[in-house]
Amino acid sequence: MRTKYQNIGLLFFAVLGIIPFALSFIYALLYSLGLVGVANSGFTIEHWQEILESGEFIKSFGFSAFMALIAMVFSVGIALWLTLLFHKKIQHKTISFLLYLPLALPGVVSAFFAVQILSKSGYFSRWFYQIGWIKDIQEFPDLINDDFGFGIILTFVSVVMPFFLLLFIGVFKTERIAELESLAASLGSRPNQIIRRITIPLLLHKTWPLIALYYIFLLGAYEIPLILGQESPQMLSVLIVRELKQFDLTKISEGYVVAVIYTVLVTIMTLFLFLRRKSIRIDG
Amino acid sequence: MSFLHIENINKAFGSDSIVKNLQLTLENNRTLSILGKSGCGKTTMLKIIAGLIKPDSGTIRLNNKTITEQPAAKRNIVYLYQEDLLFPHLTVFENIAFGLRIQKKSKDEIQDQVESMINSLELSGHKHKMPQQLSGGQRQRVSFGRAIITNPSLLLLDEPFGSLDSMTRQNMQSLFKSLAQQFHITSLFVTHDLKEALLMGDEIAYMDAGYLKVYKEKSDFMKDKSTGVLAEVEFWNGIASDLSSNFISS
Repeated sequence: MRTKYQNIGLLFFAVLGIIPFALSFIYALLYSLGLVGVANSGFTIEHWQEILESGEFIKSFGFSAFMALIAMVFSVGIALWLTLLFHKKIQHKTISFLLYLPLALPGVVSAFFAVQILSKSGYFSRWFYQIGWIKDIQEFPDLINDDFGFGIILTFVSVVMPFFLLLFIGVFKTERIAELESLAASLGSRPNQIIRRITIPLLLHKTWPLIALYYIFLLGAYEIPLILGQESPQMLSVLIVRELKQFDLTKISEGYVVAVIYTVLVTIMTLFLFLRRKSIRIDG
Repeated sequence: MSFLHIENINKAFGSDSIVKNLQLTLENNRTLSILGKSGCGKTTMLKIIAGLIKPDSGTIRLNNKTITEQPAAKRNIVYLYQEDLLFPHLTVFENIAFGLRIQKKSKDEIQDQVESMINSLELSGHKHKMPQQLSGGQRQRVSFGRAIITNPSLLLLDEPFGSLDSMTRQNMQSLFKSLAQQFHITSLFVTHDLKEALLMGDEIAYMDAGYLKVYKEKSDFMKDKSTGVLAEVEFWNGIASDLSSNFISS
């Protein structure tokens, strides 16, 4: 009976999850090779050459990877730090409710908040002007649509950090880390040794697949970099959509090239992540 | 003076007095079994001795040094939890090596000591396994090894076999006895199992509602009605006589 339900579940997963994904991927691949699409007239690797030689994709991929990495390092780092300091207080109902709030905000709303707060005409700029720290709107630094992606990183962190904080607090409880810390103290560990050898490694050990998946998610984020990013380099999803929406129909094929490369890279990363997990479980 | 000397320890949580006027002495290389029902204050007493809970009053002396105000990390007392609480991110080898790494022993020394401990614990072939790949008995053995390898002055065992099945429990009891002899362990062994208390301790005590009573001789413990030994003996005598009369009549 159980096997029957499992088979039905697998069938649903294949029909709803794998088949549409696979078909879309095949369509994108054929489009990128000139085999389908209104402006295409047969097999060509011209679009691939164009993308790989222009360097825009590499730049965009590097920029996306860097933005996602910095945002993850800050989010996980701050969440760990807050967990170590306040794990008992954060379990309080009101505080944990406040932490859930940012998780309910769509990315586009967070990005608009960031514009209202960080732009040259935003709240910070106005407050600084009122207290006399700046004399002109131009003196306020570029915090959105800037070269370093400051606005993107800050908004990513504001969305992702509460999630990891709640996750770490949950793991702290379920993995009985407080008791393991007492045990480590009883075995002679000093407080800093306990944090270095037990608390942080254990929290990361239990959550690293989610950290890696969130990294992949940020790599493909769209709304936040669309609103807060600059013209060039753009993050991958923004670049792909820009290419797909061009008036020049030949550019659509280039958009599909980027989408194919991005999909392959993300799939490899995900497979590596889960195959490694499996091998750890088997080999110990 | 005795190796472990505890005087007038008291502890209350709010208005609940948990440990009352605790007096205890124990010589080196001896095991004191402490029998008591759930909630009688055994765990709190052990955690106070380990330095994990601060007492309201009283003094603890270990090896002629007052340790009452010392932090847990400096007492050289290891407290073993009721469950086999292993570090889930470390292998069997690394769990056992944990205390030695904290003591900053050399790599070779750690390798030799841990290998030898793994052999004593009959865990050869499991050293690269993660805790979740072990059975309950194996996990408890790792937990013992990790505690004993640091050569603690005092080992505090809080119902260590409570979650094991009866066969594994028996094996673990004999393993602990042999380890205690081999590594000259001084320990307090808390249990709520009467037979285990009698088997494991060189000396025996009974804890009830926060008061600890240490018996000079095991026979005194057995004669004391409050410990439940007499009731237990009566019960088994009844079973035995029923069995023998059934046997004769059949």
